[in-house]
Amino acid sequence: MALEVQPPSDRKRVKVYELRDNDWFDRGTGFCTGQILDDEPRIFVESEDEPNRVLLETKISKDDGYQKQQETLIVWTEPNGTDMALSFQEAEGCAVIWNFVNNVQQHLLSMAPGEDALSDDIDYQPIILPPAELGNLPEIDHVMRAASITQAGRDALSKFVIREEYIQKLIPLVTVAEDLESLTDLHRLCNIMKSLILLNDNTIIETVVTDSIIIGVVGALEYDPEFPTHKANHRMYLADQSRYKEVVPIKDPLIRRKIRCTWRLQYLKDVVLARILDDPTFSVLNSLIFFNQVEIVNHIQANAPFLKELFTVFDPRSNDTKRKEDAVQFLHQCAVIAKNLQAPARANLFANFISHGLFAVIAFAIKHPKPALRTTGIDILVSLLDHDPIMMRGYMLKAVNEKKTPLTDTLIDLLHTEPDLGVKNQLADAVKVLLDPQVAVQETMGRAGPDQFKPRTILSDAFVQNHFDESARRLFWPLKRLEHRDHLQNLTFQQVALFSHLVDILSFFVRQQQHRTRNVIFNDSLGRRIELLLTVPHKHLKLTALKFFRQLINLHDTFYQALLTHSNVFGSILDVVYETMPRDNLLNSACLELFEYIKRETAKPLLVHVVEKYRERIHNITYVNTFQNLIDRYEHFQGYGVEPEPTLYSQEEVIPARRLQVNGQRWQGVKEMDPAEEEYFNTSDDEEEWQQETRQSVGVQNGAASPVVKPLVDYPDDDDEDDAMDTKPEPGDEGQGPTPDGESRDASIDSPEDPSTPVSSTRGQTPPERLSEKRRREEEDDDELMKLSSGPKRRSSTSSGPGSAGPLRRKRSVSFGSLSPNEKGGNTTTSAPPRRIAINLSSATIKGTDTGSTDSATDKSSSEKENRGDNHGGEGG
Amino acid sequence: MSDLDKAIAQLRACRLIPEAQVRELCYKARELLIEEGNVVSVDAPVTICGDIHGQFHDLMELFRVGGDVPDTNYLFMGDFVDRGFYSLESFLLLLCLKVRYPDRITLIRGNHESRQITTVYGFYDECIRKYGSANVWRYCCEVFDYLALGALVLGASSELDPSGPMMDTTQSTMPIDDSELETEVLNSRGEVTMSTYRPRQRSSSTLSTDSRNISPPRDISAAPGQPPIRSGAAGTGASGDAGGSLSSRTGAVLCVHGGLSPVIDTVDKIRLIDRKQEVPHEGAMCDLLWSDPDEIDGWGLSPRGAGFLFGGDIVKHFNYKNDLSLVARAHQLVMEGYKEMFDGGIVTVWSAPNYCYRCGNVAAILELGEDTSNGGTVTRSNGDVGRSNGILGPTMGVRSPGRRYRVFEAAAQDTRGMPAKKPVADYFL
Repeated sequence: MALEVQPPSDRKRVKVYELRDNDWFDRGTGFCTGQILDDEPRIFVESEDEPNRVLLETKISKDDGYQKQQETLIVWTEPNGTDMALSFQEAEGCAVIWNFVNNVQQHLLSMAPGEDALSDDIDYQPIILPPAELGNLPEIDHVMRAASITQAGRDALSKFVIREEYIQKLIPLVTVAEDLESLTDLHRLCNIMKSLILLNDNTIIETVVTDSIIIGVVGALEYDPEFPTHKANHRMYLADQSRYKEVVPIKDPLIRRKIRCTWRLQYLKDVVLARILDDPTFSVLNSLIFFNQVEIVNHIQANAPFLKELFTVFDPRSNDTKRKEDAVQFLHQCAVIAKNLQAPARANLFANFISHGLFAVIAFAIKHPKPALRTTGIDILVSLLDHDPIMMRGYMLKAVNEKKTPLTDTLIDLLHTEPDLGVKNQLADAVKVLLDPQVAVQETMGRAGPDQFKPRTILSDAFVQNHFDESARRLFWPLKRLEHRDHLQNLTFQQVALFSHLVDILSFFVRQQQHRTRNVIFNDSLGRRIELLLTVPHKHLKLTALKFFRQLINLHDTFYQALLTHSNVFGSILDVVYETMPRDNLLNSACLELFEYIKRETAKPLLVHVVEKYRERIHNITYVNTFQNLIDRYEHFQGYGVEPEPTLYSQEEVIPARRLQVNGQRWQGVKEMDPAEEEYFNTSDDEEEWQQETRQSVGVQNGAASPVVKPLVDYPDDDDEDDAMDTKPEPGDEGQGPTPDGESRDASIDSPEDPSTPVSSTRGQTPPERLSEKRRREEEDDDELMKLSSGPKRRSSTSSGPGSAGPLRRKRSVSFGSLSPNEKGGNTTTSAPPRRIAINLSSATIKGTDTGSTDSATDKSSSEKENRGDNHGGEGG
Repeated sequence: MSDLDKAIAQLRACRLIPEAQVRELCYKARELLIEEGNVVSVDAPVTICGDIHGQFHDLMELFRVGGDVPDTNYLFMGDFVDRGFYSLESFLLLLCLKVRYPDRITLIRGNHESRQITTVYGFYDECIRKYGSANVWRYCCEVFDYLALGALVLGASSELDPSGPMMDTTQSTMPIDDSELETEVLNSRGEVTMSTYRPRQRSSSTLSTDSRNISPPRDISAAPGQPPIRSGAAGTGASGDAGGSLSSRTGAVLCVHGGLSPVIDTVDKIRLIDRKQEVPHEGAMCDLLWSDPDEIDGWGLSPRGAGFLFGGDIVKHFNYKNDLSLVARAHQLVMEGYKEMFDGGIVTVWSAPNYCYRCGNVAAILELGEDTSNGGTVTRSNGDVGRSNGILGPTMGVRSPGRRYRVFEAAAQDTRGMPAKKPVADYFL
């Protein structure tokens, strides 16, 4: 059969969208044509950039799945269930394709009357509502409720409502019922309106928010029968024209209408329907809002005269401050909307804004006398940073290169003087991202990006380092100045806030990349300054300082270890312990955690340093076992003294080493101190001693006698425990059957552990492994797999079921988790790294979904997380 | 009237306080919370509450049913924010009360008290709407980092004072000679809908049955459906009296938001966590806030992607090892407001009625009375070393505390109006 439909001949410019995970994904821009190939009508989109690439080829079916929305959108569902949308540049182009689709469908329907008549009968029992009159409201309500139950009923109802323009007919009834003061009728009208909206039909929802209808609809929705004694005042809110602010008039009537509709949709979503929205309707509303916003933003950025006028508002000669403030708010709103756009669209928008002078606007806003406006200004800046920190650093470095004052300097100066603590907070975050040493490295490694920003990569690493050093010196100058103060008892509130931000930023830099930050810390003796902060009366500042040193310890970096051991840092930390003990508070816990970590870690210098230098003081702390254990452990490593109690060393022993290895691979050669630094430290006498100790402890560690693994001696059967470990993640596989009470008690009595023995690391411990890690192990090790499969059986035959031992046992078996049998032979590091990576991956995938933008340093979140993963690893993950 | 009292009055009326005042409040709260241990010791009597989730008006209803601060001591087990439309009002009010009556109210951290989670589930959005910037959100998140991770309720009575005669006895065990009231369920009007009794335990007797064997059937919460016939006086707090002659020991009650962790086998180990951080993705701190009990043996992977599932054997062993009689936790919606599991070894308390304004569930709070038999002295304090080396004989288990559940429904609409988010004030686009 031949189709008699003429396909449209010319090409229409269009964007193709696909709904993925509730987000409209942009498949690209291209040219749309209708075609008939082999008697099959198709919609065809060819890429604009690569004419041979087909963005979309879809067969038009006779099913009624196509919807035209607004003037320029066609939305449908592919046979495989994917929701697609075509967004046309011109309403005219959309109309042409829409006609083609309609014609094809009509044609197809007329060609196959037989089968369709049948299926139509089943699918679409046509629904007819009684005329829209007050007297019919009960019946209308009833029919709608009944029809809403099935999808077919909803479709039929939607069709009827759209075809008959039924909503328009209902609207006048609201005023009539109000005049009659008939609450019953108003409640019914409200129910009817709710049902209509929850039909979840794009066309209906779009109709609802049009100028002539909206007031009537929300009018009815003011009388919610669930709240019979209440009446909302949606109409008052939505009728208030003054809520729409215009800095520079937008002239296009279509866009103006879209702005209004978007605002109403948001109001419907957030207020009118907030309680009753189901997920599908929620996402329909969100999609509509999204498409509108895309169009609005596109219109704005393509509108050069508009942008020009907008940015002229900030002309310094103008005195219209109100207008300037509004313009900042306007740009802020654009930036907020941009967050939801896809990266290319957002990049375009920002590039456009920047070329018109966005930086000047930010500079204007962040120096504004009103804190609210400063906040807004920094918000805009942060959305730029979130979008592309590398681009922002490019601009900044360019400014330095051209001997202009870079944005960072401005921000740093503001951070030092800003009185509003909220703004200060934001400034600190922005500075953090802008100076993030990690970003610079990525940059020198080269990066794909829009062409206009390419030249910035020519800046040398030395230059970047230099700039970082300069900025950091400026930034941390207030800390450096502390050296002239004998005591810190009377810091002002502002100073306390500033110092905690600065220490926090420095911790971040150190964590991001230790080697770039070394100079800064070294040159200005920042370690000593921060050590001083451990003595302030302000506990949270003390805590921040403590966390800084904890961060240094975490790095297992010889430079920072030397810094710690060549100072009285641990003495000051012990002071904090003495001050707080034996009280159980946050600061005390943080100190304990730090010493627990030292006790477990591989690199011994810190342990040796702490015990040798502060032995007396440590010895006197008895309210927890931590410190006694520290001494025991030290003595163990000195080759005498007691066997360390069987905690989880064996596992944690290995991991920091792996970590170092991973790091070493990434930053080859940066781990060693440069000669100057070395010399500095060598001036101290302890140095040699310290190196010896290091060697010695390394010797112990490598010793085949494996005292490290052995401590878990009190285990009855290692093999068995391995099984327990490997089957761990299987829910229900654990602790088969009830175990007699006696046995479980035995287990806990036999255990030489005191309740307070800090066996488990605080946060680093990985309990039963995540699946992905397990899978990996299965692939790696067939033996394990065998045991795994036979594990449960064997275990149930052993006398002490693993379930009986409870957490203690379980935990131990977990500690075996990262040591497969062949590793116990002493070959601890070779096969380890991949496994650690597996851990990281797994946590990334598991958490991937809820790691949205968290704070303003979001764009860092991934690298930060990676880093955090490292830390975890270091602690025993 | 101090500024703080004014702020409390204003927040009680569901009106927000200015940003500067929020900041000040948060700093004060921080000073206070930094002094608290990771596990706070709380003396009975205390009323334990579960998730609130920004349902401000229902929080008011909770105070109406449970008694007002400072007359009643409260322990909130986290998840103050997200989901509901009044997270700010709810959390700020609780924080004000904390600062005003530090010893009367305890707040511990829930998994929603986190930067990541609040950006997704509404609190962040609400802060932007109501204050125009993320500043208030930042202040609150800073406070979240300082919140304790758990609490240990000490000195709870094993027996309740009866609130009044029980009419519907089909759901209950009958009072028998020499028995004590173990659990009681009351509706929001203070009417008893269910109660269970157990034999008294003599310290010297050979009565050796595990007291928990006669705990209420697992699904005791089916009771509230029965209409109470007789209305008793609203309870005045569950103050218990063990009668002096009997000295059965009631173990401590551990309260955490989520549950147990495979790397935490003693309560004291929680002390070794540096809690001032965003809730991590794994490890002890994460587990305490994310885990759930489940009808399994041992540990299982959690479908939530964080924390673990843990079975009855785990709870039993943990309670035994730590001299605990009960773990109270929140974190999971239970339609009846509370749910005891594993022979009363763990209870879930949920305090957000009609969750998300549409789940149709009731809410509950758990009252633990004060044990006055020892003259009110508490025999155990947090941080004791070596108390649980398995010295207890097999027959001398700790007794679970008397538990009074008050079940309540969503606040009447005349007190709350229609819940909705705040619309944007002005718009440019």
